[in-house]
Amino acid sequence: MPETPSNGGYMVAAYVVATVIYLGYVLVLWGRAKSIERLRD
Amino acid sequence: MNVDPIRAQILIRRGWRITLAALLALAVVVTLAQRFTPTEVRQGLAQKIFYIHAPSAWCAFLAVGLTGLASILYLWLGDQHFDRFAATSAEVGTIFCAVVLTTGPIWGKPIWGTWWTWDARLSLTLFLFFLLLGYQVLRSAIRVPTERARLSAVVGIMAMVLVPFIHLSVYLFRGLHPTPIVLKPSAPSLDPEMLRTLLISFAAFTLLYVGLVTLAYGIRLAQEAEEQGHA
Repeated sequence: MPETPSNGGYMVAAYVVATVIYLGYVLVLWGRAKSIERLRD
Repeated sequence: MNVDPIRAQILIRRGWRITLAALLALAVVVTLAQRFTPTEVRQGLAQKIFYIHAPSAWCAFLAVGLTGLASILYLWLGDQHFDRFAATSAEVGTIFCAVVLTTGPIWGKPIWGTWWTWDARLSLTLFLFFLLLGYQVLRSAIRVPTERARLSAVVGIMAMVLVPFIHLSVYLFRGLHPTPIVLKPSAPSLDPEMLRTLLISFAAFTLLYVGLVTLAYGIRLAQEAEEQGHA
C-alpha cells in the first residue's frame, strides 16, 4: 500500500484561488449593478 | 431596438437569486469534498482540487460553446439578443477558464512535479483563454454596435471550434494530462463516493454559470437601457 502524500497545502491554495476569482467576479457584477442604480436615481 | 429596463431589473434580481443559490451549493460541495469523500491514496489531498477544476472546465466549455452558437444565430438572424448573450457568456467563460488555468498548475506541481508543461490540453486551454481575452478587447475597441457584433461573432465561433479539439487533445496527442474519467464513451471510472461529489459539483457549477450569465446579461441590458435614455 503506497503512503498517501501530504500535500493539503496545494489543495487549500487551489480552493482559495478559485474562491477569490469567483467572488471577485461577483463583486465586479455587484459594482456594475450599483453604478447603474446610481445613474438611475 | 428599444431595451426594456423593467425586464433588465427582473433579470438582475433573478440572476442574484440563482448566483447566491449556486454559491451555497458550492459551499455544500466543498464540505462534501473535504468531509464526506475519501482521499485518493496515491495523490493525497491534492486530488480534491479535481472537484473544482473539472467542473470549472466543463462550465468554461459550456460558456464558449453557447457563445459560438449565439454568434452563429446572430450572424444568421441579426437579432441583438444573441450578440448580447454571446458577449455575456464569453465574459463568464473567461472567468471559468481563469480558474481552470490556475487550479490546474496547483494540482500539477505536487502530482507531476511541475507547475506547467506544454502538453496539448494545457496549451490549447491557454490559447482559448487568450482568444476569450481577445474577444473582450475587440468588443471594447469597436464603438459601432453592428460592426462590433459581427466581428466578435467570428471570434466567438472560432473559440467554439476549439472546444472539441481541447476535449479530444488527450486522445490525439500524447501528453501528461489525464484522459476524461466521466465524459467518455464507457462508464465513469471513479469511486462511487467521489463520483457523487463530482456530479453534485458539476450541477452546482452549472447553476453558477446560469446565475452569472443571467445577472451579467441583465446588467448589460440595464446599461443599454440607460444609454438609450440619455441619447
